[in-house]
Amino acid sequence: MRSIDERRSSDGFQWVGRRVPRLDGPEKVTGRTKYMTDLHFANAAYGRVLRAAHPHAIIRRIEVSRARALPGVICVLTAADIPGLNGFGIIIQDQPVLAREKVRMTGDAVALVAAESEELAEQALALIEVDYEPLPAVTEPLQALAPGAPPVHEGGNLLQRTTLCRGDVARAFAEADAVVEGTFETPRQMHAFIETEGGWARLEPDGSLTIWCPAQAAYRDRLQVARILGWNPNRIRIISSPLGGGFGGKDELTVQHYLALLALHTGGRPVKLHYKREESVVAGIKRHPFRVEAWLGANRDGTITALQARIVVDKGAYASLGPAVLNLAVEHIAGPYKVEHVAVEGLLVYTNNGTNGAFRGFGVPQTCFALESLVEMAAERLGIDPLALRKQNVVRRGEVDGAGHRIESSVAVWECLDAVERSSLWEGRAEWVAAAPAGKLRGYGVACGVHGVGLGKGVPDFANAAVELTAEGRFRLLVAPQEIGQGNGTIYAQMAAEVLGCAPDEIEVVQGDTGQVPDGGTVTASRGTYAGGMATVNAAKKMATLLGQGAPPPLRAEGYFILPQAAGALPGIIGAPHHVCGYAAQAVLLEVDALTGETRVERVVSAIDCGRVINPTGLEGQSEGGVVMGVGFALCEDTLMEGGLHRTRNLTTYILPTTCETPAIETIAVESCEETGPFGAKGIGEVVMVPVVAAIPNAIARATGRVFRLPATPERVWAAMRKEAQQP
Amino acid sequence: MISFTVNGRPAAVAVPDAKPLLDTLRDDLGLTGAKECCGKGECGSCTVLMDGEPVCACLVFTAQARGVEIITVEGIGGGPEQLDPIQAAFVAEGAAQCGYCTPGFIVAARALLDKNPHPTAAEIRRGLAGNLCRCTGYQKILQAVAKAAEGRAD
Ligand code: FES
Ligand code: FES
Repeated sequence: MRSIDERRSSDGFQWVGRRVPRLDGPEKVTGRTKYMTDLHFANAAYGRVLRAAHPHAIIRRIEVSRARALPGVICVLTAADIPGLNGFGIIIQDQPVLAREKVRMTGDAVALVAAESEELAEQALALIEVDYEPLPAVTEPLQALAPGAPPVHEGGNLLQRTTLCRGDVARAFAEADAVVEGTFETPRQMHAFIETEGGWARLEPDGSLTIWCPAQAAYRDRLQVARILGWNPNRIRIISSPLGGGFGGKDELTVQHYLALLALHTGGRPVKLHYKREESVVAGIKRHPFRVEAWLGANRDGTITALQARIVVDKGAYASLGPAVLNLAVEHIAGPYKVEHVAVEGLLVYTNNGTNGAFRGFGVPQTCFALESLVEMAAERLGIDPLALRKQNVVRRGEVDGAGHRIESSVAVWECLDAVERSSLWEGRAEWVAAAPAGKLRGYGVACGVHGVGLGKGVPDFANAAVELTAEGRFRLLVAPQEIGQGNGTIYAQMAAEVLGCAPDEIEVVQGDTGQVPDGGTVTASRGTYAGGMATVNAAKKMATLLGQGAPPPLRAEGYFILPQAAGALPGIIGAPHHVCGYAAQAVLLEVDALTGETRVERVVSAIDCGRVINPTGLEGQSEGGVVMGVGFALCEDTLMEGGLHRTRNLTTYILPTTCETPAIETIAVESCEETGPFGAKGIGEVVMVPVVAAIPNAIARATGRVFRLPATPERVWAAMRKEAQQP
Repeated sequence: MISFTVNGRPAAVAVPDAKPLLDTLRDDLGLTGAKECCGKGECGSCTVLMDGEPVCACLVFTAQARGVEIITVEGIGGGPEQLDPIQAAFVAEGAAQCGYCTPGFIVAARALLDKNPHPTAAEIRRGLAGNLCRCTGYQKILQAVAKAAEGRAD
C-alpha cells in the first residue's frame, strides 16, 4: 500500500494533501502563544467560586455579610444577583448558575467572590455561611430509577428514554446459530485538558462586555451568557481561541457566566478566574459512564442478524449535552454493521455524581466496547476469523446500516479493515504472540467503528467564513471553529491558499472571536475541518471571483455552508441519522503480565476513512492522540466517586498514559472522496478513539480472559485471568 | 527582594518567600511560557531549569531561586525566527498540537539532550515521562526529540 505522501503527488494540488507545518508552530514551541489563561491585565480583580458542601442538599440560608465586610473584597454574589435566567445548559437549562434552594452535586456553584487578590477571595469564601439540610445522595443509576428513590430534580430521575426498533429481534434470536451476551461498563473519563478552565472578563466603557475564555462554541456561549444577564447577545464579545485542549470539556459553559456576573460588579475592572485542577475535577463535566446490557445473534455463515441492548447512562446532576450523547450512542449502537433486527432502549438517569457531558466520541466509545466485544465473542463461538466476520457484515454505500439508515455518502470501512488486514502488524501477529517471553501472555485484537460528522438530522448546522484582502494586500481569513489543538487554522489556510493561488503562510487566520468572525458553529462533533473548511472554500472562491474581476482592495467576501442532512429519519431520535460519517478500523498487539495482570499495548495500526487527507501530519496527530486517549479509557482512566464525593481529586490519582505507555502507532489514510466536503474531506476527530477502546479488551481476551468493565486495571485483568484459568 | 537570573538576565522580585516560582515567573515577570496544570508535580507543564536541572516550578518556592540561574522556554532558542533544534524538530514533526504542554516538553527535552546528547529511544521515553500531553499521544514528541538528537535539520 502506498503511503499517504506517495499518493499525494498525483493529485495536482499545490497545498491540499501536503505536510504543511502548522502556522502556529513556531509561536507555540517558543512559549510565545498567549492562551486566554496567560493574559494579564492591570488593575485586575480576582474571582473565586464557592462550591456546594454536599452532593445533595436543601439550602436553608446563605449569609454573605461577613464575607462582604472583609477588607479587599469587591463583591459577593448569590442567586439573588442574577439579572436574567438562573439556568444554563446547551439543550435544556436545568443547571443553576448559582444554586438557590438546592444543590445536586459538589460542583454546584453557590456564590461568587471578587477581591483584590486570589488569597483574599479565598478567605472571603470561607466567611460565607451556607446552612444545608443534607438529602440522601443518589449515586447508582439503576437505584435512581427504582420507585421511591430520592428525586434529583422535581420531574424525577429519568431525564430521557431513547429507543430504536427494527425488524423482529425475538424471532431473529430464536433463529440465530449463535447468541452471545454481556453487560459492559465504562469509566467516568476525565478530559484532562492540560489547560484548566479559566479566563477574564471586563465591562467596557461603552457598556459592552468582553470575555476571554478558551471555549468550543463562542457564539452559543454568548447566547447562554446573554440569557443569564438578560442582555442582547450583541453586547457581548467572546474571544475563545486558542484553547489548551478541550475534547468536549469546554463545549458547555465553564467560567464564562461567572466571569460575566463578576464583571458587572467590579466597576469596569478586569476580573480573572482560573480553576486549580482540584476545582476543575469537581466542577467540570466528565464522560458519561454507561452500563450496556446487550445480546448479539449471528448465523453460521457469519451474518450478524440481531442486536438487542439496554443502555443505562449515569447523567450526573445536569443535562448539558447528555440527551444528544444518548441519541448518538443509540444511532451508532450497531456500529457500521448491516444488522437487520435491532431493539435498543437507552435511559438517561440523573444522579448526584457530579455532572457529565460532551467528550470526544460522544457516547460511541461506550457502546463500541459492548458491540465489538460481542462481535469478537460471536466470531469465536462460530469459529470464524474476527476480521473476516467484520468485513462480511460492514455496510457499503447504498446499503442500510443497523439503525435502518441507507448510507448515501462516502463509506470505506471495509477498506479500513482490509488495510488493517494487510498491515505488518496483522500479518505478523501470530508470530509476535508466539514469541511471548516467560511470564507474559500476548494477544491481538481488532475492532471497527463509525462516528457521525456534524450535529445530525433536525439540528440546525451551518458555518460561515469570510476572506478579506486588506488595503496592504494581505489576506485575512475569519472563521469561527477554534484552534483547539487539531491545527484547523493551518488546514483552513491550506484550503484558502489552494483556491486563491497564494501560500498558506500568506494568510492571517483569525478564529473564535465573536467580535471578528462570522458565526460558524462549534468546534465539536468532528465538524471543524468539514464545516469550517467548506465555509472557507466558499468564501475563498468568492474572493477569487472578485480578484478575477479586477476589484481593488480592500475586499471582503463571505461564504457559508449548510451541512447536508440525511434523507431518511430515525423517528424519535433528534440528531439522527447523520448524512456523513467517519469510519475507522484499528488493531492492537498487547501483552499481559501473567503474575500481576499489568498490561502494555505494544503496537497499534489505525486505518481511517477520512475522505481526502488535507494534511497528513494533522491526520496522524489526530489518530495518534485519539488512540492514546482510547488506551487511557480502556486501561487506566477513571474518576472515582463515592457517595457523590470525588475520590479522584487531581492527576496524582487520575492515571493518564505517559511517554512510557504510549505504543508505536501506524496511521493509514483510507481516502474515500466525500463529495459534500472541502476537497473531499470529512471529519475524523472522534472516530479515531472509538475502535481502539474495544480492540484492547479483545486483545486482553485473546491473551487471558475477557473483561466486561473498563478501565481494564491490573486487578480486573487478573480477575479475568483467574476466571479463565478456572474454566473447565 | 529575591534576586536570581532568568534567561540570562538579572531579576529581582518583592514577593512572599513561599510564592510558587511558577506564579512569580508568570505574574511578576510576565514569562507565561511555563503553565500550571496540576500544581502538584504530576504533569511537567511548569518545567523550568534551575542551574541546568529541570524542576516543576509549581513545587519550588520563589525563595529557593535566590541566586540561581533559571531558564524558561522563552530562554531556549532565539525566538520564533531562530528556533532551537528541538523546537524546530517539534514544528517539523507536528509534535505540538494545542501547545499547552509544549513549553514543559521543550525544557525537559533540552535538559535531557544537554546531559545525554545521544539518548536511546528508551532513554527519551524515560526522560520525558514526567510530562503529560493530552493531544498528541506522544509519538511525534518522541520522534522530534530523537530527530533533534541526531542533528537532523530537515
Ligand atoms: S503544574 Fe507543575 S507539575 Fe503540573
Ligand atoms: S499538545 Fe495539547 S497537551 Fe500536549
